Amino acid sequence: MVAFAVKRKTKVSTGGSLPVLLGLVAAAVFLAVGSLVSNIFAQQTVAGLAQGAIFASLALALVLIYRATEVINFAQGEMAMATTYIAYQLTLWHVTYWLAFFLTLVIAFFLGVVVYGVVIRPVQHRSVIALVIITVGLFILIDGLVTWKWGADLKFMPAPFGNQVYHAGGVSFSRQDLGVLLVSILSVILLWVLFQFTRLGLAMRAAALRPAAAALVGVRVDWMLAIGWGLAAVLGAVAGLMTEPSQFLQPTMMQSILLYAFAAAVLGGLESPAGSVVGGLAIGVFLNLIGQYWGFATAELRLPIAFVVLLVVLLFKPTGLFGRKQVRRV
Amino acid sequence: MGKQAKISAVLVGIAAVATVAVSAASAAPQATPGVTAKTIHVGGTFPLTGVASAYKTIPAAESAYFAYVNAHGGVNGRKIDFTVVDDAYNPAETVPAVQKLVEQDKVFALFGSLGTATSLATWGYTNQHKVPQVFLASGDAYWGFCAHKACAGSPKPYTIGWQPDYASEGRMYGKYIAANIPNAKIGILFQNDAFGKNYITGMQQGLGAKKSEIVDTEGFAATDTTVTQQVLALKAKGANVYFIAATPAQAIAALVTATKIGWAPTTFLANVSNIRPFLLVAASNGANLDGLISSSYLPNWNQQNLPGMKLVKSIVGTYAPDLSSDLAQGDSNIVYGMAVAWTFVYALEHAGKNPTRASLETALHSMNTSKNPFVYPGLVIKTSRTDNFPIEQLIMTKWSGGASGGMLGVGKLQNTGR
Amino acid sequence: MRRRLVPLVLIAALAVLLALAPLGLSDYHRGLWAHVGVYFIAILGLNILVGYTGQISIGHGAFMAIGGYTTALMSHYHHLNLIATLPLSFAITFACGLLVGIPALRFRGVYLALATFALAVSVPELPLKWSKWTGGSGGMQTATTPSNLWLYAVSWTCAALAFAAAWLLLRGRTGRAFRSIRDSELAAASSGVSLPIYKTLAFGVSAAFAGVAGSLFVLVTNGFAQPNEFTVLLSLQLLIGAAVAGLGSLWGTLAGAVFVGLLPELSTAVPFVGQGHGQDVVFGLIVIVVMLLLPNGVAGLLFAIDSRFNAPIKSDPAAS
Repeated sequence: MVAFAVKRKTKVSTGGSLPVLLGLVAAAVFLAVGSLVSNIFAQQTVAGLAQGAIFASLALALVLIYRATEVINFAQGEMAMATTYIAYQLTLWHVTYWLAFFLTLVIAFFLGVVVYGVVIRPVQHRSVIALVIITVGLFILIDGLVTWKWGADLKFMPAPFGNQVYHAGGVSFSRQDLGVLLVSILSVILLWVLFQFTRLGLAMRAAALRPAAAALVGVRVDWMLAIGWGLAAVLGAVAGLMTEPSQFLQPTMMQSILLYAFAAAVLGGLESPAGSVVGGLAIGVFLNLIGQYWGFATAELRLPIAFVVLLVVLLFKPTGLFGRKQVRRV
Repeated sequence: MGKQAKISAVLVGIAAVATVAVSAASAAPQATPGVTAKTIHVGGTFPLTGVASAYKTIPAAESAYFAYVNAHGGVNGRKIDFTVVDDAYNPAETVPAVQKLVEQDKVFALFGSLGTATSLATWGYTNQHKVPQVFLASGDAYWGFCAHKACAGSPKPYTIGWQPDYASEGRMYGKYIAANIPNAKIGILFQNDAFGKNYITGMQQGLGAKKSEIVDTEGFAATDTTVTQQVLALKAKGANVYFIAATPAQAIAALVTATKIGWAPTTFLANVSNIRPFLLVAASNGANLDGLISSSYLPNWNQQNLPGMKLVKSIVGTYAPDLSSDLAQGDSNIVYGMAVAWTFVYALEHAGKNPTRASLETALHSMNTSKNPFVYPGLVIKTSRTDNFPIEQLIMTKWSGGASGGMLGVGKLQNTGR
Repeated sequence: MRRRLVPLVLIAALAVLLALAPLGLSDYHRGLWAHVGVYFIAILGLNILVGYTGQISIGHGAFMAIGGYTTALMSHYHHLNLIATLPLSFAITFACGLLVGIPALRFRGVYLALATFALAVSVPELPLKWSKWTGGSGGMQTATTPSNLWLYAVSWTCAALAFAAAWLLLRGRTGRAFRSIRDSELAAASSGVSLPIYKTLAFGVSAAFAGVAGSLFVLVTNGFAQPNEFTVLLSLQLLIGAAVAGLGSLWGTLAGAVFVGLLPELSTAVPFVGQGHGQDVVFGLIVIVVMLLLPNGVAGLLFAIDSRFNAPIKSDPAAS
């Protein structure tokens, strides 16, 4: 059982079937060709990738928690928002931006572990309904705490990557967008390295897949799950900090991002980290392109379209692009 | 099935009795609601939180001015008691908030409430209950037209605005473009509600024969903070003139996004958003402010030594020191708040020794003064039975001085009336 | 015989109390209690689906929106009598509930939660898209705006009717079928309970209740329908109200409705966090504490108290 977990060395065998991978390659080629042909296509694709990277970061956090504890954490966005406010407070205390960034990640880890221990662990084995309600209660509580401490008016943080804009053949790339994209991809790679090549990662995967067996070989399952929540909170903090420049700092800043992140996680497969990233980027680009080329799809329909995608995925391939089929044994 | 039903009933009974007792104790009918021998109680709804919270300094400034007036004898011996309620710029929250102010707090009048959609959601209710809805912080042309004409079903004589209406502002920009920018291709980014649409109507009127120069209009919802898709569309249509009809948060996004996608058109900004601290945030995120065109009815950035501006500074220093840093950055919302509050005191003073809602309404419709210290020098505030627009003058402004500059006046005050 | 009589007398007493209360309440408080009545109906409906049939839904705000806009549009464009819009709302949202219930048959657990969440998020955006007919973000106003007394009377009459209807539905064969699906879908199917029919019916009925609640919600908000009245948070509040009330039992519904309807008012009096939006702190804390300590909500608490006084026989298997 543990040996089974070790065998999966590459992302490809995690669950991405051949048709899905071929489809993704075809999509990438389509995007490249389109960008070369039309400037506006390229601009929309770049903007879509940047937005999608933010969806992907939060979706990654959702997937991490779902893989570890089978909980859909409705409070993930609010946790991300709260940690962003903590970074804001640090900058108010004259801590430089990047130092505040890394300090916030550390604080976020501890907050994630605490939330797991205090709120989730006692109810982990209850019904789905109970868990949903608890995370919803957490959502509202965190929203209230942030509003209580900092107020709900708009606040602004310094821009993380500076304001330079690069131009290449009629298309403009802002340093901000490129930075967000890089940070998200870096998080995924780091996470993958953690899971594939470290003993901690192995133990975490074992605790998620086969908790009873893992406990028998000495894995401290509860701690592994807590660390999973901690890491998810860190990813959420990254997502929040990357979102702030475009959404400004307000308690509702992550609420719409969370919704797109759900769609992204389902599209990629609720159990697949790589899937969530692909899903996020895909949704970001898809929304922009469909908004550009289909007149009916005005800005009000962005959310409904993302959710139509979610519903279609749930109806036809509920395990998502990279998920594995689950058979219910009776 | 016995005991729990009993306990439920007892709990509900206690709750009901408590509510009855509390409300009976607080109910006290008054001759003129909100006016006692010593106080005049008014209330207003403002976006203290949420996307439009850039305007939260307005009620703070108004409260500071009222505190100043109260400290100097009040209005005919009565102090003004101003209740500020947060509605987060959300009409769904404004409606219950106004109901509470009118039915529970029993205010004399609603003063200064901010927002176009929020006011349209409540003006039916206030006019039905004959509650004066005074000096809305909104420039919808309706507030001027509908005192005696039926709008949305009935005339609204109890509602009056203050600032120059948005359609007139749009008209002024349209005339300017028609006269000064040949071969203009205009792209309008607008908040997709009555607020934003006012500007489009006005600009079309101002352009006249050149109306077709508007190549694209892109709307966004009041709660959106990203407008990337819309700005990309405007650039794609080839616009070289950019009109931003938005509140400060989206105005920042609109300006920054334009720079990020490498678009540098001639930009017009609705004057509800030419608030210096917020434009500076846009600049620090990469927007280029020099050459940004807007308008104003308040003193400019380089008119800090006017007696009115000095008065603002001293009132803030004494009664609202929290606003000092905003004021130092040039937050014109504070000046706006004091200008409106001054006008309200002026109207109250002309409403007789013992004001009633009727006498306030008469005073509001016979204003004529150029003595408001907080508005642009020479601006006249005037109303009559047939003229429900208190201010119908604007001066064009342009930003200069980069990240340490401000909006400076161009030319003279223009009449924007019809 | 006496066991039957006592609760009936108590319900009658409660009804009389509710009927007479508005005479003593200020106009403003009548409006508040009308709000409570609205939430009562919505939570009742949600409980039928979530508590009795075990199907999770975080999307009932969408059905409230459909009902609310039905009333607003019918009144605004066709000057339909406000009370007449209620059965219309009931019928339309019942149909919508069935339409949602059919594809929902394929989803289970977490996936159902996400699918209904999708509904909650998407439906309020639709009036913005077709703003020419729905007034968009400026909202839509009914032709007449009723008084608070009228609102109180109508919402509590509907609440009483809804309660009676729910009780009758749930004590019969349908109710048993619902409960068997909740307890074990496999066992229910094996015993001949048609899962598609009863699950879809549960969706339809609960949506219909939410639709009527939505119509009343719009009326209570001065006849004003606007997308921001029906955000995701509304759906979350309904679920929380049902949880606090006690899933699987009707008796706590009033407590759940009072919790959701009056808490914003009452929490401004709480020290420290009272001001402004700190009410969410209270709301969230109470929900978490209730889920941790009182898993069966207020109804569960009442049963626990009851079983202390009465026989060791558990009176309602739903409470387990």
